[in-house]
Amino acid sequence: MTAVVTSVQPDAPSDAVMELVGVRKTYPGPVEVLHGIDLTIGRGELLSIVGPSGSGKSTMLHLMGTLDLPTTGSVLIDGVDVATLSDRQLSSFRARTLGFVFQQFYLIDGVSAVDNVANGLLYSGVALGKRRSAAVAALKRVGLGHRLYSPPAKLSGGERQRVAIARALIARPAIVLADEPTGSLDTQTGQEVLSLLRELNGDGTTVIVITHDPAVAKAMDRQVTIRDGLIVSDVARTLEVAR
Amino acid sequence: MSTAAAVRPARLSLTDTVRVGASGLSARPLRSLLSALGIAIGIAAVTSVLGISASSQAALIAQLDSLGTNLLQVQAGQTFGGSTSSLPLTAEPMISRIAPVQVESSVATVSANAYRTHYIPSGETNGIQVKAAKTNLLQTLAGSMSEGSFLTSATENYPVVVLGDVAAQRLGFDHWIPNSLVDIGGQEYVVAGIMSPMPLAPDIDRSALMGYPQATKAFGMSSAPTTVYVRTSPDQVDAVGGVLPATVNPPNPNEVTVSQPSDALSARIAANDAFNSLFLGLGAVALLVGGVGIANVMVISVLERRSEIGLRRALGATKGNVRNQFLAESLLLAGAGGVAGVALGIIITLIYATTRNVQLVVPVSAVAGGIAISLLLGGIAGLYPAIRAARLSPTDALRSV
Ligand SMILES: Nc1ncnc2c1ncn2[C@@H]1O[C@H](COP(=O)(O)OP(=O)(O)O)[C@@H](O)[C@H]1O
Ligand SMILES: [Mg+2]
Repeated sequence: MTAVVTSVQPDAPSDAVMELVGVRKTYPGPVEVLHGIDLTIGRGELLSIVGPSGSGKSTMLHLMGTLDLPTTGSVLIDGVDVATLSDRQLSSFRARTLGFVFQQFYLIDGVSAVDNVANGLLYSGVALGKRRSAAVAALKRVGLGHRLYSPPAKLSGGERQRVAIARALIARPAIVLADEPTGSLDTQTGQEVLSLLRELNGDGTTVIVITHDPAVAKAMDRQVTIRDGLIVSDVARTLEVAR
Repeated sequence: MSTAAAVRPARLSLTDTVRVGASGLSARPLRSLLSALGIAIGIAAVTSVLGISASSQAALIAQLDSLGTNLLQVQAGQTFGGSTSSLPLTAEPMISRIAPVQVESSVATVSANAYRTHYIPSGETNGIQVKAAKTNLLQTLAGSMSEGSFLTSATENYPVVVLGDVAAQRLGFDHWIPNSLVDIGGQEYVVAGIMSPMPLAPDIDRSALMGYPQATKAFGMSSAPTTVYVRTSPDQVDAVGGVLPATVNPPNPNEVTVSQPSDALSARIAANDAFNSLFLGLGAVALLVGGVGIANVMVISVLERRSEIGLRRALGATKGNVRNQFLAESLLLAGAGGVAGVALGIIITLIYATTRNVQLVVPVSAVAGGIAISLLLGGIAGLYPAIRAARLSPTDALRSV
């Protein structure tokens, strides 16, 4: 296995799933956190956005996840400018097109793993029976077939994050956004979570991992480095795998 | 997935909304229980007050129905001297001639006292009145005998008395003993029986009744009645009441007092209402406190569950979905409190009805109203927290850990 590293911006893929054009974000204060981000992400990419704490990574994830809108510039998903969509349309977009994985997992207490995962289909209008069976399948896929009915409190950190990944992938989203998915895990379990995300990418899902950890970033096919709200490098690693 | 399909919003079904709300409550069972308690207590108070009042009123109304509201009582008004006078001798024949009058009967006061034996000092009358009565008095008053028999056309001619319920007790008759005697005006009278209480004629309860012929014989009493009881056809009560004074005493109709004894019972039903308003007021206060409690719990819940709200928004919940989730929680809390309160109220009413030996009556309006009021309270209490939850921006919700 040889890695050919190019340090130039890769050719913009013809099939862009996500585009950030001149994106700036100002928080009340006012503080400008992102100072003009241009980024194009192709369908099926496995990408990391890496940078030190406070550099604006989570802000970027929120914008890419349509959880917030840029102050200026635009975010396009599948060619659609998200600023043109209503709250209901954005919500629907998130329900069907986007999957999220967070450092804190955000599992709902007192609700079994299956029902937590099934919540990933709740807002797409899928009936309960189908949600549950899809959740069982998703949990089996992340290796938690034996933990279906455990409440989050009874799960280890790695298991919780796998439940969260199952929840993110259950709706078969085009894009999965993960914000520090290994941030609360030890290296070993972190590795397992990353290989799950890599597997997910193998199925054609675009996976965007945000991390402050260069080691995690290096495990991804493309690394976008951000510092103080600006992209400072964008490196693609092409893998030549002998099959 | 095509973009067009992705932006077409899916609706969250009502059952899913309820399910999401319920899961929020079942995750915090103790808190949910306590916050529903206020509403439950308020609704239980209201339901049981209405139920108890309806049950006791039903009993009173049933009593009123069996006694009839078509009884009129005619008495001579007070004279200037303050003493009660007798009605004219012609009063009864004249009254019987009024067409809607079904039956009439009378009593006349006998100026004598009744004692258990003649050894009792004459001052101790125990408030027992001695009266002459027509043999159809019991029937006219819709009364009944507790023991023994009433005066008959035979016994009215002899020293025989029938005792009212209170009079019997005061004379020391816990039970009627055949051939027992009382002393009236120094003569022994055989007690023929004891009457059951007569709610329409409480003064009969305190009387010893003998026949008119015997009263005339023993006390030289004229047969002019002091009180005439009149049963009319039920729809003519007012009309008959209007003509009675002039019929009874044509020259001085204003010396005749006509009353409707059932008014006293009706007044008791009304008095019940006044008493109820007090308890209903207390119930309303409990409900208000319960509603404020739910609002309080919902506000705290929204603050605590910011990250859940953020997560749900990330999973695709619309603002409306989030609002409805918290509204559903609040409605479920209050609704469960309402249902529990209604159940508790019915149990309390049932205990009352069983101990008082009256029929259980729970007004449908109390049940439906109780649940409707709790849902209304839940809606009001939950609205503000739900709107706050919906307005929360997803990023703010996710950042607060
Ligand atoms: N809602 C907000 N209001 C004001 N400042 C914010 C807000 N959210 C984030 N920031 C600031 O923006 C900067 C970038 O934050 P963030 O995107 O979370 O960075 P990262 O995820 O790379 O650590 C930080 O300095 C943070 O304090
Ligand atoms: Mg961050």
